Amino acid sequence: MINDSGDQALPAPRPCLYRSLEEYAELMRASGTPTGLSDELPRESALPVGLPTDNISRRRFLSLVSASTALAAGMTACSRIDRGSIVPYTRRPREIIPGTATYYASTFQESLATHTVLVRTREGRPIHVEGNDEDPISGGKISLRAMADLLGLYDPDRLRGPSMNGEPSSWQKAEDEIAQALTAAQKAGRPVLLVTEAVLSPTRRALISVLKTAFPNLRHAVWEPAVSQSEFLAARALYGEFALPRFRFDRAEVVLSLQSDFLGVDANAPAMIQAFAARRTPAGPKDPMNRLWVIEGAMTLTGANADERLQVRPSRMASLAFSLARSLNETHGVALPAGVSADGLKPFPLAAAARDATVAPAVLEALAADLKKAGKSALVVAGSALPREAHVACHLLNAMLGSEGYTVDAGTVTPDPGLTTFAGMRDLLEEAAGGAFSAAIFWGANPAYTFPQASVWKGAVAKIPMTVRIGLYEDETALDCRWRLPEHHWLEAWGDFAPAAAVLSLRQPVVGALHDTRQAEDIVLSWLHVPGLELPRSYRDYLRARWKKEVYPAESPVPFEIFWNTALHDGVVKREAPPRPPRVLRADAVADALSAAAIKPPAGELELVLAPDAGVYDGRYANNGWLNELPNPVTKSTWSNPLLLSIADAARLGLRDEDEARVSAGSESVDVPVIIQPGQTQGVASLSLGYGRRTGNVAKSVGVNVYPLVDVTSDHSHLRMAVTVVRTGRRRAVPRTQAHSRMEGRDPARSWTRAEYAANMGSESQKNERSLVSLIPAVPYTEHKWGMAIDLSACVGCSACVIACQSENNVPVVGPERVVKGREMHWIRIDRYYEGDPGNPSVIHQPVACQHCDDAPCEVVCPVNATTHSPDGLNQMTYNRCVGTRYCSNNCPYKVRRFNFFDYTSFIEDPLRLAFNPEVTVRPRGVMEKCTFCIQRIQDVRQRAKVEGRPLRDGEILTACSAACPAGAIVFGDMNDPQSKVARISKMNRGYRMLTELGVKPSVTYLADISNPVDRKGQA
Amino acid sequence: MNSEAVASTNELIPEILRHPPVLDGVVTPDGLDDQVLSTVERKPPRAWFIAFTCTGIAMLTGLGLMGYTAAMGIGVWGNNIPVAWAFDITNFVFWIGIGHAGTLISAILLLFRARWRNSISRFAEAMTIFAVMVAGLFPLLHVGRPWLGFWLLPYPNQRGIWPNFRSPLIWDVFAVSTYFSVSLLFWYLGLVPDLASLRDRTRSSVRKFIYSVLSVGWRGSAFHWIHFERAYLIIAGIATGLVLSVHSVVSFDFAVSLVPGWHMTIFPPYFVTGAIFAGFAMVVMAMVVVRTTMNLNHIITMYHLEVMNKIILTCSCLMGYAYLLEGWTAWYSMNKFVHHAFWAYIAGTYAWAGWLTIACNVLVPQLFWVRRFRRSYPVMLLVAFGVTVGMWFERFVIIVSSLHQDYMPSAWHLYKPTYVDIGILLGSFGLFFTLVLLFARVLPVIATSETKAALPGAQPRHAGGSYE
Repeated sequence: MINDSGDQALPAPRPCLYRSLEEYAELMRASGTPTGLSDELPRESALPVGLPTDNISRRRFLSLVSASTALAAGMTACSRIDRGSIVPYTRRPREIIPGTATYYASTFQESLATHTVLVRTREGRPIHVEGNDEDPISGGKISLRAMADLLGLYDPDRLRGPSMNGEPSSWQKAEDEIAQALTAAQKAGRPVLLVTEAVLSPTRRALISVLKTAFPNLRHAVWEPAVSQSEFLAARALYGEFALPRFRFDRAEVVLSLQSDFLGVDANAPAMIQAFAARRTPAGPKDPMNRLWVIEGAMTLTGANADERLQVRPSRMASLAFSLARSLNETHGVALPAGVSADGLKPFPLAAAARDATVAPAVLEALAADLKKAGKSALVVAGSALPREAHVACHLLNAMLGSEGYTVDAGTVTPDPGLTTFAGMRDLLEEAAGGAFSAAIFWGANPAYTFPQASVWKGAVAKIPMTVRIGLYEDETALDCRWRLPEHHWLEAWGDFAPAAAVLSLRQPVVGALHDTRQAEDIVLSWLHVPGLELPRSYRDYLRARWKKEVYPAESPVPFEIFWNTALHDGVVKREAPPRPPRVLRADAVADALSAAAIKPPAGELELVLAPDAGVYDGRYANNGWLNELPNPVTKSTWSNPLLLSIADAARLGLRDEDEARVSAGSESVDVPVIIQPGQTQGVASLSLGYGRRTGNVAKSVGVNVYPLVDVTSDHSHLRMAVTVVRTGRRRAVPRTQAHSRMEGRDPARSWTRAEYAANMGSESQKNERSLVSLIPAVPYTEHKWGMAIDLSACVGCSACVIACQSENNVPVVGPERVVKGREMHWIRIDRYYEGDPGNPSVIHQPVACQHCDDAPCEVVCPVNATTHSPDGLNQMTYNRCVGTRYCSNNCPYKVRRFNFFDYTSFIEDPLRLAFNPEVTVRPRGVMEKCTFCIQRIQDVRQRAKVEGRPLRDGEILTACSAACPAGAIVFGDMNDPQSKVARISKMNRGYRMLTELGVKPSVTYLADISNPVDRKGQA
Repeated sequence: MNSEAVASTNELIPEILRHPPVLDGVVTPDGLDDQVLSTVERKPPRAWFIAFTCTGIAMLTGLGLMGYTAAMGIGVWGNNIPVAWAFDITNFVFWIGIGHAGTLISAILLLFRARWRNSISRFAEAMTIFAVMVAGLFPLLHVGRPWLGFWLLPYPNQRGIWPNFRSPLIWDVFAVSTYFSVSLLFWYLGLVPDLASLRDRTRSSVRKFIYSVLSVGWRGSAFHWIHFERAYLIIAGIATGLVLSVHSVVSFDFAVSLVPGWHMTIFPPYFVTGAIFAGFAMVVMAMVVVRTTMNLNHIITMYHLEVMNKIILTCSCLMGYAYLLEGWTAWYSMNKFVHHAFWAYIAGTYAWAGWLTIACNVLVPQLFWVRRFRRSYPVMLLVAFGVTVGMWFERFVIIVSSLHQDYMPSAWHLYKPTYVDIGILLGSFGLFFTLVLLFARVLPVIATSETKAALPGAQPRHAGGSYE
C-alpha cells in the first residue's frame, strides 16, 4: 500500500467495490448483509512483516515500477512457463493422499537371493525401494540392485504387449496356440522344455509341479549362469543336496575368505555386510573386533576390506586350504571329521602352500593358529568361482573347527534350487537340436545371451517348433522365440518366497500394470486345463488358496483374511521351521577332493576368474542406467567390464591401462580393455559378466560379452585355468570416476591398525579443530544442527548409498562419454584409496557427500546467493537462483558439487520420468547441484512431528544413504542434541573431520578405519 | 622557426639526457590531417580486405560456436568437475589483460606527460575497448544459464534478492563494467576534436551527418579546449585508478578462493603487471602492422616502439620475479597442498604449459636488453607474439593446473579442450581483429589533435627549456 499518497487522496470506495476480502466483510457487516466469509479467513494483513509490500515509499514504488517495467519488456521472452493444465482428483482414490507417500511391502528376487523390501509410492507410482525392517534375515538391508531395479519397472524398452514373430498379437491368440501346442505335445508324448531362473517361491514351485503333472514330459531346467556350479556340485557331493546355509557373521570372530566376495556380489551380501560390519566398530583399541583373512587371486571388494590379505592363484586354493586343515590337525590337534583320514592330507604341506602364496610359512601358521583359537567362532567361506575341491576343503575346515552349525547355520535353509549345470544345459540344447522337444518355454532367464556357445543355442531353438518367451524385454532370447509374452515387472506382480525355512515373504503389486503385460504365472495358468484339478484362473487366487492351505496356521484364532492382510502389510511371516539334522560330511567326497587337489592343474600363464558384475549382475540389469553408471566398488569403472590384470602380468604382456587385449580360452576369444589392478595376484586375470548385450537401448554395445569364456565342460565353469592375453594394439577408454588412487601424503581417509589406534587416539583430529581461531564469530544454531557421522571402519564400499541417493534425489545418468570427461553426477561417491605395496595394497573406502560446512566456502563465492546456509546448519542449493558460474565447485575443497553440463533430464524417455521422486526438484541445464542431506526427508519428518505436537526423535530422520547403508556406517541426526547418536559418535576417539585446517567447519565426522591384523611381533 | 628553437634549447641539455624527437621527419599539422584523416575517405586496399575476410571467418566461427554453446550447454566444452573453469575464464582474464595497455598509455602516461604516447594512444585505447568487449563476452558465455546472467546486476526486483556482494564475481562485474565505461568515455572524449575535423573535411552528406552527431558540436574554440583538457585530465585521473583496480579485482576471483595455487596475496600486482605486459605486446604487434601498412612511419616512430619494448622488458622481469615469488611462497607456506600445486605447475601434466609460460614471458623478452633487437621488426614481433602466447598460457596454467589437482586426490581429473573451446578462442581473436580493422577504416587511428601538440613548437616554451 502506498502510504505517502495519503488515504484521503483515494476516492472513498463505493459500497459495491472492495479491495480485499477484509474490506468486503467490513462493508457487508456495516450494511448488515451476511457474507458467508468466516472470520478465520486468512487476512492480507496477516502477511509476514518485512515483505516488500508493506511500507513502500512512493519513491521506492516508482523505482520498482520502472525497473520491473524495463525488465518485463526485455525479459519476458526469456521465461519458459509450463502452460499445461493441472487438474486435481475429483474423486480421490482411497489410499492416495496427494503429497503423502504410501509404503508397500514386497519381495525382490535375484538369482539365489531374496530381499524383502518396502516400496515407497507417491500418487500411485513406486519411486523408491528400501529394506523392510520386519525381515529377520536381511535386517532391513537390501542390495543396491534391488533398489535400482525400480528403473526396470519404468524401462522404456519393456515389451508392451504380446507379439508373435515380432508382429503384435493378442493374448487370446497366444493362449490358444500355445495351449494347443502343449496339448499336442502331451498327446504325442514328446517332451517340452521349460527354462526358468532359480525358483525360490514355494507357490511358483507348486505351480511348476502342477505343470509337470499336466505335462509329464516337461523337462525343467533352472538356469542361473552367474552362479558357478562348482559350489553346488561340491555341496551335493558332500551332503547330497545344495542347501543354502546362512553364514552367521554376527558370531564369527575370525573369517577366512577363499576368493569369496561375500561383501560384494555374493547372494545376500547386504545381510552379511550388516553382520560383519557390526563387529568392526570399536570404541577403543581394546574393544573386540573380528578379523578378516582373505586369500584370493582376483581382487574383490572383500579382499579390499581384509585385515590380512594373501594372494594365491585360485587353482592352488584347494591345496592351500587342505594344508591349513593338515596344519590344524597335526600342529593344533584339531580332529578330522569321522571317516576322513589324516593320510589324505599328507600331500599338502604348509610350506608348499606358502610357496604358492609367496608368503612366509609363518603367515599361514599364524592363520592356522588364529582359526584354531577362534574354534567354532571361525568361519571359512569359499568363492563360487573356485574349483570343487576348494569348496570341499572349505566345508572340511568348517567341520573341523566346529563352525558348521554355529557360524555356518544350516539349520534353516531353503530347499535345493536344483540348478542346471552348464553341461546339463548343453545336453538339453543338443537334444533340442536333434529335434527332441516340440515346444520350449523360456521363462525369465536369458539363455540366448548367457549360454556360452551361441551356435549350440541357435541350433537348438531352430529345431523347436514352438518357442515361447515370457519376459520383460525383447531380449536376445525373445528375438529367437515365436511368441514373446511380456510379463509383469516384480513391482506389478504377486508372489511369495522362502528366504529361510523359518521365514516366508510375500510379493504384491505396488502399481497397476503399466503396459499390456501379465503375471507370468497367469500366463502359465492359462495353458493349464488339468481334468480333475480345479485351478483358479488368477495366480493371486492360487497364491491365496495355497497360503490358506499351507501357511495359515489351522489353529489360528484370527480369520484368514486378517492373517493374509497382515502378511501383505508386513511383507514377511515368521513361523516355526522343522529342525533339520546337522549336515554330515561324506568322507568319500572329501577323499575324492583330496585326490583331485593333489593333482596339480596344468599351470597356464594366466587363470581367468569370471564373476557377476556389481551393477548389472549377470546381464539382467544391463538396460539400467543407474547400475551401468555405478562405479565398480573395486575398479571405479563404469559402463564397461575391463579385464583386470596384475601389475606384473601387465608389464610382461606390454599392456597399459585402457589398452585393448584379446583374451582367448579354448576356441573362444573376446577383445576387452585392460585395467591394471593393484592387489591382483600375478597369474590371475578377472572379468565381469553381464555386459555386451545385443538388445536394449541402454545395454546395447556397452562392454563386452564374456560368457563365451565360461567353461561349459568343466565343473568350475567360472574359472578358466589357461587363458592367453595378447595386445591388440588398440586403445579403449574405460570410463572411471576416480582417476587417482593414492592419497599423496594427505589424510582424507584415515586408516589405522589397532596398535596405531592406541597411539593416535584422539590426538591429531581434535587438536586440528581446536587450533583454529576465527575472527568471524560462529553462527549459533539454536534449534537443530544437522550433522552426519561416517564410520570408515564399518563401511565396506559396497556403494548401496550411491544408488539409494540416486533414486531418492533424481540424480541423472550421464553416460560413458561424460564419465570419461569427469562429469558424473552422483551426490555421494565412494572414494577408494590404495596404500602401501601396489602389488598387495591396503584399500580404504570413504563415502564423500557434501560436508555441509558451517563456514562453507561455496556460499561466499556464489554471486547470486544461490547457495546459502539454513538456520539448522544445512548448506542449501537454490536451483532456481543458480546461473551456473561453477565458482562454488572450484571453491569446494571436497569437490562434491555437480554441474548439469547438459539438459540431462531431456535424455529421459517416458515412462522413465515416473521414477522421479516428486519431492525433489529435477534440475535443469546449467545448474549446480549437490547433496542436500535429503532435506525433503528432514522436512517430512519435521512436519509430521509438528502436526503431532512432539519433539523430533533421534534416528527418526534417515537420509537415503544412511537408510540404505547395510553396514550402518552412515549416521545422521541433530548435533545440537548431545544424546543423539550422531553427536555421541562424532565425539568418538577415532573421529576426525576432513581438511579442518581450511577452517570451513564441515558437519560430517569420519571415524577412522580400524584394521585388525595379526600381531607380527613374533615374526620377522 | 620552431625547429630552430628546439635545436637551440636541446643544445643546452647534455646529449644523454635529451628526449629523442617524438616524431620523425617533418610533420606539419596539415600533412598530419591529410595522412590520417583521409584514410577514412579512401577505399581500403586489397590487403585490408584479405585480412578482414580472415578475421571475419574466425569471428563467425567463434560466434557460431558461442551460439552452439548457449543452445546446448557448457557440456560442449571440455570443462568438468574439478576443472569447472578452463578456456572460458582463461580467455576472459587474457582479454581483460590485453585491454590494459590502452588505458595505461592514455591515462597514466598522460598524467606523467610522456608525450610520446600521443601518436599511439588512440589505437591503444581502441584496442582496450575492443579487448574489454571481447573479454566481457566470456563471463556471460561461461555461465550455465546465460539468459539469467542479469541476476549478477544489483537492480531492485520483486524477489527482494540482491547479488551476493561477498562474491568476487560481483566485484568483477563492477570492476569490468566501470573500466569499460570509463575507457569508452575517455576514448570518445579524445575522439571528439578528430571527429570534428572529419566532419569538416568530408564531402559525403551521410558521413557529414554521422560525424556531426558524433562530434557533438565541437568548434575548437578556446573554451572548448579548456573544458576538453580539463575533462580529459579528470577522466585520465579516474582511469589511472582503474588500470590498477580492474585487474586486481579480476585477480581476486582467484586470490580470494581457497584453491591451492590461487590463494596468494601476490596475485593483484602480479595480475596487473601481467596485464600491462600482455597489453603492450599486443599494441606493439598492432603498431608494427599499422605503421607499415598505413604509411605512418614518421608519426609512429621507431622511438615509440622502442619505448614500448622497454616497458615489455621491465614487465618481463617483474613477471619473472612474480614467478619466483610464487615458488618461494609455496615453499615458505609449508603447506602440502600449495607445494603440490606449485609442483604441478613445473612437473605435472600441464608442466609443458608452465614452462612455455616461463620461456615466453621471462626468457624471450630478455632479447630487449639489446638496443638493436628493440628496434628490429622480426625480434619485436617474435617477442610480442611470444608474450601473447605466454600470457594466455599463464592464465591457463593458473586456472587449469590449479583446479585439476586440488585437495581431494580422489577428485583429480584432467582437462582436455574440445574443438568448441579452441574455436571460441580463435573466434575471440577474430572478433577482436575484425573490430580493430573496422576501426582503422572508419575512425582516425592517430589522435591528430594530440599529435599536433607534440609537434615541435606546439608547446609553450620559455628561456632555458620547454615542456619537451
